[in-house]
Amino acid sequence: MSLVKINIGPVHPSTHGLLRLVVTLDGDTIVNVEPHVGFLHRGVEKLAENRMYMQIPPFIEKCDYVAKMAMDEAYVATVEAAMGIEPNERAQYERVILLELQRIASHLLWLGAMLNDLGHFFSVFMWTFADRDKVLKLLEEATGQRMFYVNMRLGGLRQEFPKDFEYHALDVLTYLEKRINEYESFIENSSLFKERMYKVGVLSRDDAINLGVSGPVLRASGVNFDVRKDKPYYVYKKLNFKPIVLYNGDNFSRYKVRILEIKESIRLIREAFKQMPDGNATGMPIKLINPAPKNKVVRVSREGPRGEIMFYLVADEQRPYRLAMRTPAFINLAALNHIARGNKFANLFPIIGSLDLVMADVDK
Amino acid sequence: MVRLIIDRKDLIDTISSFKKKGFSYLVKILGIDYIDYISVLYILRNLDSDEEIEIEVHLNQNDLWVPTIINIFKGADWYERELYEMFGIEIKGRKVRKLLLEKFSENIYPLRKSFKWGTK
Amino acid sequence: MKDFITAKQEFDKLVEESLKKYKPKVPVVFTKLSEVTKAITSNMIIWSRKNSLWPLQFGLACCAMELLDFGASRIDAERKGFLVFRATPRQSDVMISAGWITKSMAPEVKRLYEQMSRPRYVVAYGECSVSGGPWYESYNIIEGIDQIVPVDVYVSGCPPRPESLFDALLKLQEKVGGKIDN
Repeated sequence: MSLVKINIGPVHPSTHGLLRLVVTLDGDTIVNVEPHVGFLHRGVEKLAENRMYMQIPPFIEKCDYVAKMAMDEAYVATVEAAMGIEPNERAQYERVILLELQRIASHLLWLGAMLNDLGHFFSVFMWTFADRDKVLKLLEEATGQRMFYVNMRLGGLRQEFPKDFEYHALDVLTYLEKRINEYESFIENSSLFKERMYKVGVLSRDDAINLGVSGPVLRASGVNFDVRKDKPYYVYKKLNFKPIVLYNGDNFSRYKVRILEIKESIRLIREAFKQMPDGNATGMPIKLINPAPKNKVVRVSREGPRGEIMFYLVADEQRPYRLAMRTPAFINLAALNHIARGNKFANLFPIIGSLDLVMADVDK
Repeated sequence: MVRLIIDRKDLIDTISSFKKKGFSYLVKILGIDYIDYISVLYILRNLDSDEEIEIEVHLNQNDLWVPTIINIFKGADWYERELYEMFGIEIKGRKVRKLLLEKFSENIYPLRKSFKWGTK
Repeated sequence: MKDFITAKQEFDKLVEESLKKYKPKVPVVFTKLSEVTKAITSNMIIWSRKNSLWPLQFGLACCAMELLDFGASRIDAERKGFLVFRATPRQSDVMISAGWITKSMAPEVKRLYEQMSRPRYVVAYGECSVSGGPWYESYNIIEGIDQIVPVDVYVSGCPPRPESLFDALLKLQEKVGGKIDN
């Protein structure tokens, strides 16, 4: 039996990014998948050593350009831990609301892109994009910017929420609940979807822990680990947060975890609006900062929509001496070889779609 | 944060004994360039009790090599490849290829302090 | 039925206008057939080429999010003729380059541009394609796409709103139709 090597080049009609795959086939089953990355590498860790602390957030936001608020908040929390500053309680509630809204927007884009890979050519994509536009309008009302909101300051936000923000947000949330139930009912009833998602691309529990994956990929294989519950930060304890764990490890479990996370985020935002105290949530403006770091070596991890984001900072006086980042899509892509062996070749792209990759995350 | 500083010859024994005690999740492998020496950090996590530990190894500038831990953790594959191409540290025990700068065959190691900004 | 009627009326108007230019002062018509057909068809060709430019799907990085918004249902790209985003360069007219270009990606961009069939146009969308963007000190970035391929329209911003991409494509339509010099 002779093996065939196929090249799937860097520019291809799916919306993940620039990724080259060299696939070795035996008939119709996959023997080996080797990803070649690096088409978007620009050296963020080296550039961060030449900038001051509050000049770096635009670089960090362009790493994961679908969930920008999560990366920005993780970096600012690292600098706050180095300087010894803590935000007050109203600022913590407002940050949690913005983070959960960003998680809903990111999962809606994932849903459209994955069904695009399965073969629904841009039809469900249009509907989820229209819903995502409503959430982006809410974020534009709160921060003033459409795409790159550099909104986090040391000790709070850049500005307070406007007056009618709560009523607009609750309207959008009731609309979104109905739409998510509609999507679930008609997507899961189609028999083509069931054939390509049940028992395809199985990742066992021991393999998932050994490979080091994180996020919904880890929780769909039966491991109960979520940074919001095991190393809690801000007010997640008061909001009674529970992680979502499924036990099969195939494509369908990874899809279902994210749909249930959207519903959990809607519940968290409603609770946070009821419990929020009065006060002032603006942080320190940029020019008045006197950088004098109290702790020289800091490490902070947060939960983004794709997995765990970790920053490791060795602090100098005016600029960082070394800033190391652990981005979630890097190690999720390294697990592709273990997942895709033994499957048919036509099922390769649903597997990639269920891992939820953003290629600028992989090449830092 | 608990940090251990050990010699390079004890590295594989320490990591496998920590894995047997329950620290079975590898978070990241880092490298930091202090100008006299380069230090390599291994961060491990225990999923049952939520503790973390950092294991640090110091390397002189003359002999830069580290033994591979791919038989203990399968996820250390891409971290070691990135360590090789950014700092120039050799990995003994397996053949390593560059990950992000694949098409450049010259010996440039970007994250060392001797590599100035503005060079193209 | 409505579209059919208006296209036919437009066709009649074009035929009349082109025939008017070639009316001599003597009330007898002496022309070659080739000149009459050239006058009719060159206007037709320019009109049809201008109103159906199909873009190549070349979103590399964060500006690709605005390209997806440009093709979605709120700001519609279909109403002015940019109907489908094709995946292969042999069937497309415009290359909208959105995102930064690294040294590993530069030979692929050049190869894709040479595979497009003439007439072909390039739009540089976003700061990273215009001049390198915020990564100006990096060791792996090429500063601007006009060091590799010739560019027709530049759109600046980080990222520019999708409405400004619409404005840039309308200006490209005027350039194809021949109103703007160079």
